[in-house]
Amino acid sequence: MNFFDQIQWVFKVLWAYRLRSALTVVGFAVGIASVTLLTALGEGMRQFIMEEFTQFGSRIVAITPGKTETYGLGGLLNTTRPLTLDDAESLQRITTVEFVVPVVFGSGQVKSETRSRYVDIAGVAGRADKAWKINVAQGRFLPTDNWQQPRAFAVLGSQLKQELFGHASALGQTVTIAQSRFVIVGVMESKGEFLGTNLDELIYIPAQKALQLFNRSSLMEIDVFYKPQVSAEQIAATISKRLIDRHGMEDFTLVTQDAMLKSLDNILSIVKWVAAGLSSIALIVGGVGILTVFSISVAERKQEIGLLQALGMNGNQMQRLFLAEAITLALVGALAGYVMVTMPLLLVTFWMPSFPFEAEFLVFVGAMILSAIIGALSGIQPARQAANLAPIEALRDE
Amino acid sequence: MRLIDYFIYALTVFVRHKMRTALLLLALSMGVASVIILTTIGEGARHFIHQEFSAMGSDLLIILPGKKETQGGAPPINGASPRDLTIDDVNALKTINSIDQIAPIIAGTALIRFGNKSREVITMGSTTPFFALRNMRLGEGRLLPDNADSHHSPVIILGSKVKQELFGAENALGEWLNVGDFRFRVIGVLEERGESLGLDLRDMAVIGVRSAEMVFDSPALFRVILKLKYAGSEHYTEQQVRSIIASRHEGEDDVTFISQDAMMSAFDNVMLMVTMVLGAIAAISLIVAGVLIMNVTYISVAQRKHEIGLLKAIGATAKQVKTIFVIEALILAIIGSAFGLLGAIALIELATTIWSNFYLAAPFWAIFAACSTALVVSLLFSLVPAKKAAQLDPIIALRSK
Repeated sequence: MNFFDQIQWVFKVLWAYRLRSALTVVGFAVGIASVTLLTALGEGMRQFIMEEFTQFGSRIVAITPGKTETYGLGGLLNTTRPLTLDDAESLQRITTVEFVVPVVFGSGQVKSETRSRYVDIAGVAGRADKAWKINVAQGRFLPTDNWQQPRAFAVLGSQLKQELFGHASALGQTVTIAQSRFVIVGVMESKGEFLGTNLDELIYIPAQKALQLFNRSSLMEIDVFYKPQVSAEQIAATISKRLIDRHGMEDFTLVTQDAMLKSLDNILSIVKWVAAGLSSIALIVGGVGILTVFSISVAERKQEIGLLQALGMNGNQMQRLFLAEAITLALVGALAGYVMVTMPLLLVTFWMPSFPFEAEFLVFVGAMILSAIIGALSGIQPARQAANLAPIEALRDE
Repeated sequence: MRLIDYFIYALTVFVRHKMRTALLLLALSMGVASVIILTTIGEGARHFIHQEFSAMGSDLLIILPGKKETQGGAPPINGASPRDLTIDDVNALKTINSIDQIAPIIAGTALIRFGNKSREVITMGSTTPFFALRNMRLGEGRLLPDNADSHHSPVIILGSKVKQELFGAENALGEWLNVGDFRFRVIGVLEERGESLGLDLRDMAVIGVRSAEMVFDSPALFRVILKLKYAGSEHYTEQQVRSIIASRHEGEDDVTFISQDAMMSAFDNVMLMVTMVLGAIAAISLIVAGVLIMNVTYISVAQRKHEIGLLKAIGATAKQVKTIFVIEALILAIIGSAFGLLGAIALIELATTIWSNFYLAAPFWAIFAACSTALVVSLLFSLVPAKKAAQLDPIIALRSK
């Protein structure tokens, strides 16, 4: 019996018992569909979150004061070893550094002449708009000159501008934060939310003014944007050396965007695979289904098996025939399940392109291979049973 | 036909097809067990978080300096505000009659040095009530002096890991060490305890709040924790605090409140949803098992045509024939659920003996949901083939071999 004959035989048999074949396929397809759906959703979520984080570019090194790594809390707390504006300025002078953004965050009341609002206050420097990829809608961003004695300029988030000035122009007007007056030089475009901070309800002031306002000596973070010709490791080493020279010891924590993204990516991938793993319980139950139906089939088709053996087919060939049947069922089930999930989701992404869904070819291949393995595993026992039947016994059946 | 007859009839069928019955039971019990185990893990995690919170008492309020009027955003956790919340503010709040204990906190990272060893450590400046509020206990030594909110005294309490790193097995009590530019004497070491809500209690140090003001050169408090005398007085207390703060802060009540309850219920909701999703994922396997039952019942109907014809010929009604097959499926579901339940409980018991500090117990609603889903699925999926059996023409059925 050549390969082609075998294939033909398998399909004939499956067609002859089409009801049970169909139901076996459906059971298995539900399993595959759940695996595909969950990995697709997991992958979609992973890409969505990663995009959130990579929107600021990937050539960033963040430096926080204090050497203990406390989930990014380090910058918020007080410290006996501050990171100062001088430190930030000295990093600016490294040739491979494109620019540096010092960051101080806080919250407070911003008053215009008639209205006031409690919002987040970001103490930064010129170019923070480029760093965070937010465009200026009106006017300009904070100037890049003199960090130590900056002019009292401020830039408003779009929503904050609405709150304080309504539809009137805000440029050239002044706002007051805790008795300090700031001249508004720009209004930002709407950007939405990032990590729980509404970037539209934010006021940007020079970092030095913010340090004064909050009575702090230390910046909360220094973001260094480096040029493309150096690697993350190289720039991290350069920055470390520069700061250690200035401080006499390593009293800061340095996280490259690469490292941060990598660990985030790891966590999200684990979540994705756990979801896939959990949903494959259904796949295993589907495998039990194939096993059940096949052991029934072998019992029913004793006569046929006997006839084949009497015609000279050996046990090996017999076993292969039944295995091929099981694997075919599993593969058809996998294909059905994959299409069952992918088609509707593709339609959804067609209408809603932002829907976090990512159909991976790799998952498809993986699902097919996994199905073939499960099919083979559940087919093996019935196949053996069929191969070991004595032809006389089998023929005499019924 | 009496009910008992249906049962006996079903049992003889099961005995005749042992392999098939065993496999169906395996599929069903795997589905039931996975639903129960996954929801149990979810519930365990929820319980763990609950425990973490209630270890500190449920009537805690946390005050953050600064406030935001943006809706739905995160609270101003960065703790920087143009108008500081100070120790004097907290002392003024002590007059509120619904406050049991209140502790101001100044937090920072400081370099602690002893001899030639040094370590960057999160250093909290606070007062004695802080220990009770955060449920921290001393392993040895004593707590901060009672006047920590008015006077600086050069004393420090170390976390167990800090003590280990700086002093090794040596005695630390009474030793002088440096915190930043100041000298402090060790008067206590915290009891060994793990992480609590993101703060590693082993890797931290506590000094008096006035001393922290000096070390970090800032009067700004990072947080204030207070414990209420009576549960349910959050609202009243918040109002009182706001009016006192406003009278001291030029008419502005620029503080934000976080209540333990609100935080806990937020976590609770998230965890409950995760548990539900886990259960639902596992329940897919029950549906697969249901399809399998349907398949096998179809096969069974086809194989037993002769028998069905015979039954009908001696007077069995269509309804009775249908009942035979449905009851078979239901018995399978019940036994499968029982096996699944037993398997799940055995695994959970095993897990609890291995990780004894993690609470695991199958939630009642999950057991109920898993078993009833198994029953309903079996019932629904067996109905279609059972109906086919019921509609068989006895003559044709009898004629088949």
